[in-house]
Amino acid sequence: MVGLSEGEQEFIKGGIAQDLRSDGRKRYTYRPIYVETGVIPQANGSARVRMGSTDVIASVKAELGRPSAMQPDKGKVAIFVDCSPTAEPTFEGRGGEELSAELSSALQHCLLGGKSGAGAGIDLSSLVVVEGKVCWDLYIDGLVISSDGNLLDALGAAIKAALSNTGIPSVHVAAEAASDEQPEVDISDEEFLQFDTSGVPVITTLTKVGKHYIVDATLEEESQMSSAVSISINRQGHICGMIKRGGVGLDPSVILDMISVANFVSRQLMDKLDSEIAAADADEDES
Amino acid sequence: MEFVSPEGLRLDGRRPTEMRQLRAEIGNVAKADGSAVFEMGNTKVIAAVYGPREVQNKSQQMSDQALVRCEYSMANFSTGDRMRKPKGDRRSTEISLVIRQTMEACILTHLMPRSQIDIFVQVLQADGGTRSACINAATLALQDAGIPMRDIVTSCSAGYLNSTPLLDLNYVEDSAGGPDVTVGILPTLDKVTLLQMDAKLPTNTFEDVMQLAIEGCKAVANYIREVRKFLLIAVDIVGLCLVIKFRITFVF
Repeated sequence: MVGLSEGEQEFIKGGIAQDLRSDGRKRYTYRPIYVETGVIPQANGSARVRMGSTDVIASVKAELGRPSAMQPDKGKVAIFVDCSPTAEPTFEGRGGEELSAELSSALQHCLLGGKSGAGAGIDLSSLVVVEGKVCWDLYIDGLVISSDGNLLDALGAAIKAALSNTGIPSVHVAAEAASDEQPEVDISDEEFLQFDTSGVPVITTLTKVGKHYIVDATLEEESQMSSAVSISINRQGHICGMIKRGGVGLDPSVILDMISVANFVSRQLMDKLDSEIAAADADEDES
Repeated sequence: MEFVSPEGLRLDGRRPTEMRQLRAEIGNVAKADGSAVFEMGNTKVIAAVYGPREVQNKSQQMSDQALVRCEYSMANFSTGDRMRKPKGDRRSTEISLVIRQTMEACILTHLMPRSQIDIFVQVLQADGGTRSACINAATLALQDAGIPMRDIVTSCSAGYLNSTPLLDLNYVEDSAGGPDVTVGILPTLDKVTLLQMDAKLPTNTFEDVMQLAIEGCKAVANYIREVRKFLLIAVDIVGLCLVIKFRITFVF
């Protein structure tokens, strides 16, 4: 819970109206982003992303499983988010579950495409080992360590960074087994396949405060929002998913306007993120 | 299985009485009143302290002392195999209780009546000795929050495998089924506040193992004091720079 006096509320709203927010940013400026990759050695890929005092970790674990009968030529990806009570005392016990569920489903909408897996940022058919029998199941876990607003964008960025850091062991399938049997597989511990993450979208959340909308809202700014729209956009400028939160209705024309702003802002974010990820990977290789 | 080679080296190349590398950071969670990251080898935990603040649940308020609460949680990705355990399983509840009791014993709760102190520990990586790492992280976080304490609490575990007492067990050694002694001490007062052991051990061997664990605790205490000292120096330097800056602006 954010406790703000009436004066502080007016200050935040007034600042946004004048394009000078309380931390000195403009409406469409992000806080500095720091990316660290390979933070969890036990995972196949991991990354930690910090935006101001928002701090999240994403990890990717790959396990061999069976493809679903509906899509024998595709692997499976699941996203879970956990809100640690270190971020906010109210997340203690089951307190964080509601927000965790909201964030996980929002990320699934934004990154995994529809039920069929079409339009997903991750190429699901690259996860298949033997069609209809063996595939990789990717478990993406997000953990919120410190929360100061804009969790969804931070988690989206962390997942993108973690995926680019992910190495999936290459698998050798033993000689042809009978068609109804599960083939034997041999997992290599030396050869790894890298993911192509150029298609993974970034998520940009536009938070509407008063008449204007802002990117990368802090917790204080989020407490003053009327509604927020999260849009995930990929490198080609295609919209991959969209979610609206907050109770107040939006005019359809405002939404279209928001999309064009998001398109512009997300390109900057994506460039920034790509260079941060490259720098973080280089750092990790050195150490 | 052989846990100590004929040359006297353990699986990860340590000597029997050698600890894993320690690393600590303070002030990672900006929103918390105090926070710390503590690493013992591959075990990595983060602790955050909120308080002393108003008691959230009025019925728990105590008029003569502060209420100390603690929650231990493990990240899904912290273990080798992905965990799908719900929150609040029995193991977490037990460890939360252990940490709470240990920290409560050293916090000067009578100085903060009608208030509440929350300690949250989150395991990011588990490789044996999470209990000890959590207590060490909680100590640092409490110090960072400036909460009055009798003394710091430090903790370390020791075990007994292949008829050798081993300090600071990792996951493989911990799951070998041998005895595992976790000790927590108040290093300045030289008192033991936490002692847990599973499996059986002859009395005279137990003395050796416990002594080894206490030595480990003292080493951790020295490290924690170093971290604090370094932090205080850093604060001094920042303060000094500010003073110099102000002087310069004043002169010109």
